[in-house]
Amino acid sequence: MPGVATPQKLLDLAEDLVSYGRRKGADEVEVTILDSTEFNVDIRLGEIESLIEAGSRGLSIKVIKDQKTAYGSSSDLSKDSLQKLVSRAVKRAQLSSPDLYAGLPPKQRIDHDITALNLYDPHILELTPEDKINLAQQTERIALQDKRIINSHGSSFETRVIKTILVNSHGFSHAYDETYCGLSLGLQAGRTDEIVEDYWSCSKRHFNELEAPEAIAAKCIARTVRQLNPRKIPTQRVPVVFESAMTSWLLGFLFACVSGVAVYQKTSFLQNKLGTKIADDRITIYDDGLIPGLLGTTPFDTEGIPAQKTIVVEQGILKNYLCNTYAARKLKLASTGNADGTGVAPHNFYLTAGIHAADQIISSMDKGLILIRTLGHGLNPVTGDISRGAYGLWVEKGEIAYPVSEITISGNLGEILLTIEMIGNDLEFRTPVSGPTIKIQELMVAGT
Amino acid sequence: MEQTAHPSSLAYTDHFGLTDDDFQKILDIALSRGGDFAEIYLEYKINGFINMEEDIVKETVESISLGLGIRVISGEKTGYGYTNDISLPKVKAAAVTAASIASGREPLLASRLSPVKSPIPNTYPILNPAHEQPLEDKISLVKRAYRTAQKFDPKIQKVKASLLDSVQYIRVINSEGLCATDVRPLIKLTCFAVAEKDNKREAGYHGGGGRVGLEYFSKELSPEDIGTEAARESLHLLEAVLPPAGEMPVVLAPGHSGVLIHEAVGHLLEADFNRKKTSIFWDKMGQQVAKSTLNIYDDPTIPYFRGSYNIDDEGTIPQKTPLLIEGRLVGLLQDKLSARLMEASETGHGRRQDFSCIPIPRMSNTYIDKGEYDPEEIIKSVAKGFYAHKYQGGQVEDSGKFTFSVSSGFLIEDGKLTSPVKQATLIGTNIDILNKVEKIGHDIQFGLQTGTCGKEGQAAPVTDGCPTLKITRMTVGGH
Repeated sequence: MPGVATPQKLLDLAEDLVSYGRRKGADEVEVTILDSTEFNVDIRLGEIESLIEAGSRGLSIKVIKDQKTAYGSSSDLSKDSLQKLVSRAVKRAQLSSPDLYAGLPPKQRIDHDITALNLYDPHILELTPEDKINLAQQTERIALQDKRIINSHGSSFETRVIKTILVNSHGFSHAYDETYCGLSLGLQAGRTDEIVEDYWSCSKRHFNELEAPEAIAAKCIARTVRQLNPRKIPTQRVPVVFESAMTSWLLGFLFACVSGVAVYQKTSFLQNKLGTKIADDRITIYDDGLIPGLLGTTPFDTEGIPAQKTIVVEQGILKNYLCNTYAARKLKLASTGNADGTGVAPHNFYLTAGIHAADQIISSMDKGLILIRTLGHGLNPVTGDISRGAYGLWVEKGEIAYPVSEITISGNLGEILLTIEMIGNDLEFRTPVSGPTIKIQELMVAGT
Repeated sequence: MEQTAHPSSLAYTDHFGLTDDDFQKILDIALSRGGDFAEIYLEYKINGFINMEEDIVKETVESISLGLGIRVISGEKTGYGYTNDISLPKVKAAAVTAASIASGREPLLASRLSPVKSPIPNTYPILNPAHEQPLEDKISLVKRAYRTAQKFDPKIQKVKASLLDSVQYIRVINSEGLCATDVRPLIKLTCFAVAEKDNKREAGYHGGGGRVGLEYFSKELSPEDIGTEAARESLHLLEAVLPPAGEMPVVLAPGHSGVLIHEAVGHLLEADFNRKKTSIFWDKMGQQVAKSTLNIYDDPTIPYFRGSYNIDDEGTIPQKTPLLIEGRLVGLLQDKLSARLMEASETGHGRRQDFSCIPIPRMSNTYIDKGEYDPEEIIKSVAKGFYAHKYQGGQVEDSGKFTFSVSSGFLIEDGKLTSPVKQATLIGTNIDILNKVEKIGHDIQFGLQTGTCGKEGQAAPVTDGCPTLKITRMTVGGH
């Protein structure tokens, strides 16, 4: 909207709206403003396919009156329409039911130094559109020089700069800036009716940490062509090695099951398991929101609770659920600073590295599968059951024999955690949820 | 509260305050670097949400989004700028961004705007648009679904019911002189239930809605039906066994199994994947790719369906589009860009999630047409196999490999449905499976009016449908 331009004005707008909500009768008010700029270029077969550049702003509110809650959000930031949004929310709150557990967290202090978290890279703002286009073009060009690559899904470069402002009626009023940049590529190889494909990408907060176009292209080519000429395999139970990206996928499912929200809602198989053994002794898992510069790092969550380092699983024992304020009150625990709206989100959620090199893990299998990609849905947090389409590499006598496709893997997360036999030393924080290569004793692999 | 019941309450209303003169200027800026085509997309959307769980109405949400996207096409390139700041300088800046994609040529001049005159048929003339109804009435629908599921059986341990409603006002203006509007209502009422027995827990789900008014829940599908079905499914799954693993004959239930056609065929017939030659189908137009009994359509004009629209997000009036006729590949789902580059006719399948997104070819309501077999006979023809009933969803890659996750099904033994089965994954390759469709039932149905499809990060409401189908052999992922 015209008139609101500077960060200070956005902070003032949020503070005014909190006061306005209180004047309209709300007991508690929380206002969040996200102000972001986005750039994205897609290159395909050397040419620009699309280029997007834009700025957007959105404001969201939470009001509580008599322990009843209502939410609102708007991308129209004119004062008049925002005040109406708040007034309507206060009225609407009265139609919700009283909820003993509702309400903002008590007043919070942010003790850590936000700039030391290293979330913002001014260099990203200095990149010209040409720089960004070149990066994507170069990545794809390098990949297409490989004769085995027959087509490209294209490469993309994107940047995002986000300002987050959070103000609430308990006197919390903080803002922080963060940046992201990402380079990605998708390739196809093989004959028309036997196409294989894969993607690779790198995403960082700091431009100088981004992998070079050569590295992205090489990794994407290798990931694609290793799937050429796949075979089908008979249905059987075998040891399965999860590549680190697959371990990250598995940990994403575990996160959904240690979510305090899922636990109080009785939709997690890990309900009532706090303090009990849920995994092999070698398994230790943290959620850490304070590691400088990582994708999952943040000074505070969406309720203003400071981020922290939480031990989730310690040597196989489930130590903590990850909670927002509401889930914590329900479970009589403390918030772990993982609020994300009415749900929870991971910070840097990771399985600590083990001692084995990935090669060593593979060569330990006389016969087995390396899981390289999965496809589809098929995760059930209520039971922990997993059933997914999969792609893999078949291992015989400790060596990769051939790629396999049209298989499914199935198992149960609870059983998998207890039967992790080896843990790799290759942990990298590529995504907010990450883990090293692992080997599972046995999973059902369905084929012919 | 007095309820006025006239469809005209869904007339287009402007929330932007920009004049035709402004639009003309914006289009001229967008074309100033020599683009072939420019377009302004204006969107105003109100979303409402009510959530009930743990016996209380936990929260209500109202969200308003307003914004405008400007697109310029130059050859195969697309430039895009968007903003939710509707001041003329910001809008012009977005036009400059979009224009930058083109270079070199003499600027084109936009045609003078000419609003679409011929009346566009309204596929969703509704009586009681949800966003105009009192919140109390909507809360009551949610409570009815919740209570029904909760009371259905003592084993039901947890219920969650929610109502999501929205109305989207869109206007598309382009340099060819098009100026068209649509007002799209959308509702879904869903219920999720968890049943528990002997420390085993299972979840069931049901829901309904579409581009309908609240009258739908008294005429078509009641909140009680939704609650009952969610509870029944969770109880059914408590008795379910894990499926056997391996290749076997598979019978797909009518309706819900439409997700198979969505994944195995629909996505790969979206024109962009074929123009880019990444879809397995790109060189197969006119060829026999399936059994000759198979006919597949995508139809955005089915009245009141979740996937329907009066105009697509590029202002094109959509058409029922044949994709496979008697097993032959006859059509693709086109948007403007692909249609122009492929020299094909537009089919009205250019859709976008919201104003911040570039339109791309998408499905709407996709279905396999009915065949001649009696569904009972189809099941009877299987000595030992798997019956897939309800699904969590599916996914496909351009290579044609797809999976779909079955949340609930049955074993087939000696031509009869026997033990209930849970959590299976079906996997296959599309052309292979299309040629293994052995029998098609005469019982076409559509799945739940609650589905959302994702492509390139954009969500779009869709439905899909099919009759009972028998697949000769398919890999079932089990235990």
